[in-house]
Amino acid sequence: MNIKMIEEYLNKGIKDVIKQFPPVADILNEYKIGCTTCGVGTCLLKDIVQIHNLPAEDEEILMARITKIIYPDQEVKIPTVKKKKEQVRPEDSLSEGKKPSEIKYSPPMKRLVDEHTLIKRWLAFIPAMVNNLDIKSEKDRRLILAGVDFIRSYADKYHHAKEEEILFKYFDPNLDILKVIHQDHETGRGYVRLIVDALDKQDSKTIAENLNAYKELLTEHIKKEDEILYPWMDRNLSTTQTGELFSKFNNSDKQFGDAPKNYEAFIARLEKGA
Amino acid sequence: MGALEGCPGSRMVDMRKKEAEGTPAVDVASQLRQWPIQLHLVGPSAPYYQGADVLLSADCVAYALGDFHPKYLKGKSIAIACPKLDEGQEVYEEKIKSLIDDAKINTLTVMIMEVPCCMGLLTLAKQAAASAKRKVPIKYLVVGVQGEIIKDEWATN
Repeated sequence: MNIKMIEEYLNKGIKDVIKQFPPVADILNEYKIGCTTCGVGTCLLKDIVQIHNLPAEDEEILMARITKIIYPDQEVKIPTVKKKKEQVRPEDSLSEGKKPSEIKYSPPMKRLVDEHTLIKRWLAFIPAMVNNLDIKSEKDRRLILAGVDFIRSYADKYHHAKEEEILFKYFDPNLDILKVIHQDHETGRGYVRLIVDALDKQDSKTIAENLNAYKELLTEHIKKEDEILYPWMDRNLSTTQTGELFSKFNNSDKQFGDAPKNYEAFIARLEKGA
Repeated sequence: MGALEGCPGSRMVDMRKKEAEGTPAVDVASQLRQWPIQLHLVGPSAPYYQGADVLLSADCVAYALGDFHPKYLKGKSIAIACPKLDEGQEVYEEKIKSLIDDAKINTLTVMIMEVPCCMGLLTLAKQAAASAKRKVPIKYLVVGVQGEIIKDEWATN
């Protein structure tokens, strides 16, 4: 195998690779690498393999299988699995056909994951809100506005601001994964603007379409951050940097006073149907 | 009493065959940047603790780990203690609390041996952190008697 040949694809965006070689998507899915559903897909194949932190043996097999698809006529050796006790925790190895173990986050990253939990609770409420929406009803219009306020104040100002203004500053802004995350944030802000415009025009169809689009975007976005981005960042941050992040998050949160608690109460009321 | 009986903390283990696999002796620079280091002797107001990443290490850890200085001590201020043998451990809790609240340390890394009694040092650190007004991330590493890292995780407070 000519190394330069595979390097050409390692440096290609994943969406282009999948477009040219669709079976690559099935292999990535097998390893729980969910690039096939990513709306952007500009991450390079080599970065994707690195960022998912597969056990060394799994990564080797994955790359051999992808290479075999790209160069079917070339001899590709798929290595046999050898366990390295110090590198591979058995519960993490997909070669064993087992599910990955629970992800352990550093305290600042855990806080972001916990904030996602509240956002997901609001996303879960969207289908019921869309199905029962009566745009002529003052109560329903207020509910949409309260939802927009939750997105803008909690999800965006409180949560995304911690990411964009603090966490991401520790990494190279040219990283493809960060560009994808920024793009998701911007796309979400665009949906919210369209919801507000449609509310003024009492256009329930556009409101429903953009609420559903927001739900779909954020669901995938949160999964990407919880399962891929944050664990990768944790692996790349030093202990000192993690401590700094924790302290900066505390300072950032202080600016919001009791607002986060009020939003938790808002979601709890929605869930109770109040 | 046989070699495999009794308290794991004091059970005899003969590891002499490891000597043959060892790397040749080289000079490794010390990363220690303070004195004293024993938790009874240190004061949280010492300048090297202010805003620092602090390593709270069980006494045996530095002997078990071959690369303790360059890999784990480097860049950190240290305090050492033995949760099994030391007396007056209520003072330890107060000192750790003061490191968090008064010295405003950045992080606390607790390194302990795999033997069950050593877990007491992590418990002590967690108790001190729970009673402190400030919160800091606490990391803990469990070291095997053969010198391997068994666990390296952030603690949940």
